[in-house]
Amino acid sequence: MKLDEKVVSFFESCNSPVDKEGYLSKKGELKTSYQKRWFLLKGNLLFYKERPGEKDVIGVIVLEGCTVQLCESEEQFAFSLVWSEPGLRTYKFAAEDQASQESWIKALLSASHSYLALLVVDMEKQYRDALVSHPSEGHRPFTMPNFHSAGPNYPTTSPSTNISIRSSFAGQCVGPGASLSSNQMLQPSNISAARAVSKKSPKLWPKKNSSMVPVRTPALPMFECSGLYLDPEEDFIKLHEDFGREVKKLIADWSRKRGGGEVGLEETLIDFG
Amino acid sequence: MRFNEKELICLSRQPSEMAAELGMRGPKKGDVVKKRLVKLVVNFLFYFRTDEEEPIGALLLEQCRVEREDTQIFSIAFLDEAERKYLFECDSEEQCKDWIDSIIKASYEFMRRNLIFYRTEIHRLTGKDPLEQYGISDETRFQGNSGSQLVARDTSSL
Repeated sequence: MKLDEKVVSFFESCNSPVDKEGYLSKKGELKTSYQKRWFLLKGNLLFYKERPGEKDVIGVIVLEGCTVQLCESEEQFAFSLVWSEPGLRTYKFAAEDQASQESWIKALLSASHSYLALLVVDMEKQYRDALVSHPSEGHRPFTMPNFHSAGPNYPTTSPSTNISIRSSFAGQCVGPGASLSSNQMLQPSNISAARAVSKKSPKLWPKKNSSMVPVRTPALPMFECSGLYLDPEEDFIKLHEDFGREVKKLIADWSRKRGGGEVGLEETLIDFG
Repeated sequence: MRFNEKELICLSRQPSEMAAELGMRGPKKGDVVKKRLVKLVVNFLFYFRTDEEEPIGALLLEQCRVEREDTQIFSIAFLDEAERKYLFECDSEEQCKDWIDSIIKASYEFMRRNLIFYRTEIHRLTGKDPLEQYGISDETRFQGNSGSQLVARDTSSL
């Protein structure tokens, strides 16, 4: 399959936000040795090259459909990107120190397009709720951002492109009674990111009933092989609980391995006071 | 440039609402219109020969300009080269509109801007940072242009 590399290269070098960059050692595809590379995370793409100033990009990893995991390795501060479907690979990395390892894991965990899509959907609902509960404040209209930094304003050739955000996600309906503002799908950062990873973590993109999927939103990815089916209204809360159970187990394993004291498993991971 | 091809091919097999046979023309001079099954998955546009399992190619939909060229034709232009365009011929004006809409909204950067907008607005209206509850409020990826962190303000008077 061909990938338009010019486009990808341009994206790497343009001034769009860099979510994280730094040195990591990456295990070679065929060789067992680790090679130090400069990594650049932009959105759901992880680029790597020899060093920061280098123009040539050696490669890119598209971060969709994978999980981030701690892994066993001869190297310290190792972690991996795992695609679990048969025939798909695992990328192994080693960071320079624990802080870097945790920081990278955390950044990679929230890098996928699917994750962002779920987050945006939730934010949109919270925004609508906020408008309802604070009607006098009104809202600022949102016009389509200008994509092209150097070019002219975003095309006005089609009137449909100037869309207010409220209507753009209008199709996404969540039951009127559901309060997604309490959704706890996403990992809180006060738990060490290194511990937030589990082999058994449910993917953040459950298979949904097609009648719930609206027409106009970005396609919420539904892996054909994902066996996880969740009622949309309980999605996030259940995901949090599932994650929570695994995180507690990981914390316990991790503490034991390090010879530290046992972490109280009865403690709730998140205290909402 | 190396890339995780197998994984990307697997991604292309995900069900998508935006998948249709369109006439597609590549960006190079001399490229002609060919019938392709075009499919939008996350921020990638995959294109297949009809009835083939594996896509011929993938386009990353970032830093691109999507424009209406005609009632039923839209283009995607990349880089600063307005001439370097991919053209897509649709069956109807409505289908054309749908595709333009969907491609624009599929970009990661577009979604990030939405998120930042909502976050800022929710904070402005309620005094609370909605990302705090997820523990991701200090993630660089979700900061606004100013880079300043949102601070919950005292709402006792509201």
